[in-house]
Amino acid sequence: MQLVAAGDANAFEIIFERHADAAFSLAYRMCGRPAVAEDVAQESFLALWRSGARYDRTRGSVRSWTLGIVHNRAIDGLRRNSVHDRRLASAEGLEEDLEAPERTDAQAIDNAASDEIRVALDELPSEQRRVIELAYFGGFTHTEIASMLNAPIGTVKGRMRLGLEKLRGHLGDWQAVGT
Amino acid sequence: MSSREKGLGCEQSVDAAPYVLGALDPPDSFRVHFDGCATCRAEVAELQLVVDTLPATVPPVLAPRALRERVLATVRSEEELLRATGYQMDEPPKPVSRWRSRRGPLLTASVALAASVAIAAVIVLNNVGSTAPERVTVAQVAPSIPGGHASLRLLDSRAELVVSGMPQPALGKIYEVWLSHGSGSPQPTDALFNVTGTGSGSVNVPGNLHGVKEMMVTSEPLGGSSRPTSSPVLRVVLHT
Repeated sequence: MQLVAAGDANAFEIIFERHADAAFSLAYRMCGRPAVAEDVAQESFLALWRSGARYDRTRGSVRSWTLGIVHNRAIDGLRRNSVHDRRLASAEGLEEDLEAPERTDAQAIDNAASDEIRVALDELPSEQRRVIELAYFGGFTHTEIASMLNAPIGTVKGRMRLGLEKLRGHLGDWQAVGT
Repeated sequence: MSSREKGLGCEQSVDAAPYVLGALDPPDSFRVHFDGCATCRAEVAELQLVVDTLPATVPPVLAPRALRERVLATVRSEEELLRATGYQMDEPPKPVSRWRSRRGPLLTASVALAASVAIAAVIVLNNVGSTAPERVTVAQVAPSIPGGHASLRLLDSRAELVVSGMPQPALGKIYEVWLSHGSGSPQPTDALFNVTGTGSGSVNVPGNLHGVKEMMVTSEPLGGSSRPTSSPVLRVVLHT
């Protein structure tokens, strides 16, 4: 990342190749449309290229930082365009909405770790999983989720916290894929 | 001791989970709070590690080849620009007051962009002797659009303008591409385009660019105009 911060395009290309599929997958999961996901991923990588100097390795992996940028950009886009009304069902049945993904070899290698996290998420009580997915993947605010689920704000916040704590318990010392 | 137990020491720690999920609205007051609260800072740090694993639950999809090509083409062209001009060019352009002077939109736009013309020329000249099949020329974007970027990709006789960070044209307007051969008024093209909500867009520039000195883009009424009615939002200096 130091080389990227210094304007080295070759170093950037390595970062891009390593994380492009994960970045696009996350954007696609959140936005639901390939063209929008492509825009989000493009803007995110160009932001990374132009702001590489802001990366702080003590605060997480390059992958986490990259996907954090993608997440923030996708949320900005969702909230700006108000397109996430149609994502109300984002917690359920989303995979069926998406076109069949083409898996890469690298992704296949990562499958074991990903499956572990996916299972941990699936094993959460449904009300906890739903608020986490609506917040993280749907881009909804906690007040929107409370309104959507007709639940008190405090309850929604509590479910988020309990869900994340349970996930942490499942995952133990596991750290982000690709660190 | 779990973060939950630690969280019991601060009432506001209940905001840590929605905060790390990006759902706390508004997040500012909590951000200020946890900067000075060790309990909440620890809670945020612990929960953030969990949130960082959530992208791994997403069904994997291959990034499109076109995305790779666009991103890397932009990065390569900006690297070339940085090398040619020094890294101070990476700083946001300072506002140019003459941009909005009373001397007419096209003339003032020419003045505002004049300092950048030499930079574009360096890049194009460097590309003349290249054996690379594709040339990418970075456009000069109006100072009033600090986050805007654009580049013109030339491959054989085809040209594609790729933009990012551009504002959407006003209601009832669309971006129009113009070509200038160095004298006379810029010639309109049928290359009309809009940008997405994130400011990205692309358009094929029609016709043969041989002899074209400059390409520019203005915001025009839907359907396009025969003469520019506004200042250029970007400009590409060509040495064809």
